[in-house]
Order: sequence, then C-alpha cells, then structure tokens
Amino acid sequence: MQYMQYQKDGCDSMVVIQQYLVAVIAASAVTAVLAWVVHRLRSASLLRQVNDASAARIAELTRDDDRHAQQFAQAEQDKLALEVTVAELRDDLARQAALVDETRAALAAANENRDQLARDAQRIADEAQRLKSLAATFERWHEQMISLMTQNQDMHTKNQELSSIVRHVVIVSLNASIEAARAGQAGRGFAVVASEVRSLAARSEELSKSYRDSLHRNDLTTTATFQDIQAGGKMIAASLASVESLASQFQSRLH
Amino acid sequence: MISSHAKQSFERIFEKAARTRLPMESSHSCSIAPLREPMAGADTRAVVLTISSIAFRLLLILHVNEDTAAVEYFTSDNPERPFNEVFQEICNLCCGAINQELLNYFPDLGMSTPYTLSARCLPYLSGLKPELLESFAISIDAAAGCIELAATLCVCAHAPVDFIADVSQAEDTSGELELF
Repeated sequence: MQYMQYQKDGCDSMVVIQQYLVAVIAASAVTAVLAWVVHRLRSASLLRQVNDASAARIAELTRDDDRHAQQFAQAEQDKLALEVTVAELRDDLARQAALVDETRAALAAANENRDQLARDAQRIADEAQRLKSLAATFERWHEQMISLMTQNQDMHTKNQELSSIVRHVVIVSLNASIEAARAGQAGRGFAVVASEVRSLAARSEELSKSYRDSLHRNDLTTTATFQDIQAGGKMIAASLASVESLASQFQSRLH
Repeated sequence: MISSHAKQSFERIFEKAARTRLPMESSHSCSIAPLREPMAGADTRAVVLTISSIAFRLLLILHVNEDTAAVEYFTSDNPERPFNEVFQEICNLCCGAINQELLNYFPDLGMSTPYTLSARCLPYLSGLKPELLESFAISIDAAAGCIELAATLCVCAHAPVDFIADVSQAEDTSGELELF
C-alpha cells in the first residue's frame, strides 16, 4: 500500500514534475518568444536608427559632395582666372622689364649727359679763367696811353718852347721895325722885311696856340679812350669771373 | 638816350659820393652847387676817372688848384706824400663810391685808374658828345678855412639809360679800400 502510495505519490510527483517541465518549457517558450519579439523590436529600432543615421549621413555626404563639386568648379574658375592673371602678370613683367631696361638706358644717357654737362661747365670755367688774362692785355693798352701821354707832354714842352721863340721873334721884329723907322728912307726895305717877319711871327703864334689846343684835345681824347679801354677790360674781367663762378656752382651741383 | 630820371640819378649819386669821400674828416661839411664854367686855370689840375658799362661811360673830373690851402688840407695825414698822389687817391675813393652805387643798377661795370690832366683839356669834353655834362662847385668847410674844388660829370651813352637811384640809404663812411 505503502508501495502503492509510494507509486501514487511517485506518479503524482511525476505529473507535477511534468507539469513543472511543461510550465518551464511553456515559460521558456513564452520567454523566448518575448525575447525574440523584444529582440526584433530592438533590432527594428536599431535598424531604423541606423537607417536614419545612414540617410542623414548620405544626405550630408551628398551636400558635401555638392559643395565640393561647387568648390571644385569655383577652384577651376579660380584656376582659370589665376592663369589669366599669371599671363597678364607675365606680360606686365615683360613690359616692366622692358621699361626698366629703357629707364636704365635713359639713366645711363642722363648720367652721360650730366657728365658731359659737368665737363662743359668745367671747360667754361677754365675758359673764363683763361680769358680773365685779357685784363693784362687791357692794362698793356693802358700802359701805352701813359707812353702816348708822355709824348704829348713832350710836344707840349716843345710847343711852349716854340711859343716862347715866336714871342721873342715878335719882339725882335718890333725892334727891327723901330730901327728901320729910325733909318728913314734907307731903312724902308728893312721895315718891309721886319713887318713880314712880324706877320710870320704872329701866324706862328696862332699856329702854336692852335697846336696847344690840339694837344689838349688830344690829351683828353687819349685819356678818355684809354681809360674806357681799361675800365672796359675790368668790366669784362669781372663778368668773366662771374661766369666762372656760375660755371663752378653749376658743376658742383652736378656732382 | 639818357632819361631825365637817369641824369638826376647820376647827379644824386655823384653828390652823395662827393659829400662822403672828399672831406678828410666826416665833421667837415661839404656843399655842392652847380657851376656854369668849370675851373680851367693854367695851374688847375684835373683828375680824370672813367666808369665804363655796356650802355654808357661816365667820366668824373675833379679840378683842384694846387694852392697852399688845398695841399695842406689834403696832405694833412701825411705831409711827406706828393699832393698829386694823395689827391688822385681821394678822387679814386670818390669815383669808387659812385661805381659801388651804380652797381646796384648796372651789373657790369669797370673803373679806370685816375690820371691827371691840365684843366685846359676840359673845354674839349664836348668832343666826346656827352649827353650829360654838368659841373659843380664844391666847398669843404675845414677848420683852417674853406677849400674850393670843382667837379665835372660827363656821361656818354651808347644805349638808352633809364634808372632811378635811391641814395637815401645810410652812409658807409668807413672808407673801405678801393682796389684798382
């Protein structure tokens, strides 16, 4: 009985165990189904997220691609523009180089011109310096005036001597006239001679006075002329000194 | 060819030069008056100086009688020196002052050295065909008495001459050396 009991109890236990197992299996199945469903849901959610992210990324990449395409196009345009600019710059450079060459040539010509002007200024200064020695020539002419005036003075002295002789002849002729008058008829011929001598003496006196006046006129004309030459020489020398000074200043400004 | 302004200017310049250079001392007054006939005695000395320019030449003739008063006055600084030499030097200073003044109006001028002639030459100045020929009596009131001189200004022009000289500037009586 007991045994039966035991069997009955064993059968009961087995049923229970079976029930438990069924329950466990059922629970496991439900759990598995739930897990699968959860997993599916989770997977679907994740998939959506990934898809969304991918779509966003794709959109972003597409935008980037468009931007890059635009940038590339812009870069191409910029490149073309730069190439044009480079070409223009190259042309400019060539022109500038040509201009520099021209300027260099002009500068060289200007330098040569300046040097030539400096040499010319030096020559003018030298020439003015040389021509200032003309003053010596004028002084030489002036010295000749002294010589001429000395000769004039000598002629004055001789003329005074002549005038003195003429005055003496006048006195002698007067005395002769007086003596001829005393001699009466016999002295008539002598009186004529004495009168003629007096007349000649008077003409000589006039001539001597005229000669004296001519000498005075000559003195004045000679002095005025030679002083004009001397003063003119100094004027020219002063002007040449001024030219020399200006040429020297010009030359110093060129260097 | 010499304008009336220029003639008056020449005369003003001469008068200024005579007043400043002829008296031996600045305290001696010097009066200048026009003279109809220049001194032309047999013993009268005439010291001639010429200032030349491109347009004209000016002759300054200073006449002096070599009498005792004049000799003592002009050689008072150095009685040993010959009167003619001393008087020529004074005339040179006077003409130098005219030259200096004229340089303000004419850049190119030259001056001669003085030369002494007989005053009997003076009537022939007209032979130079001057456009300005004026004589002046000059009296210097010195302590010992009055010294009488005369001067003739003779300007011959070769081109038109026209200027107005302003001689009102302060006198320089320092007596700078005139080189000739």
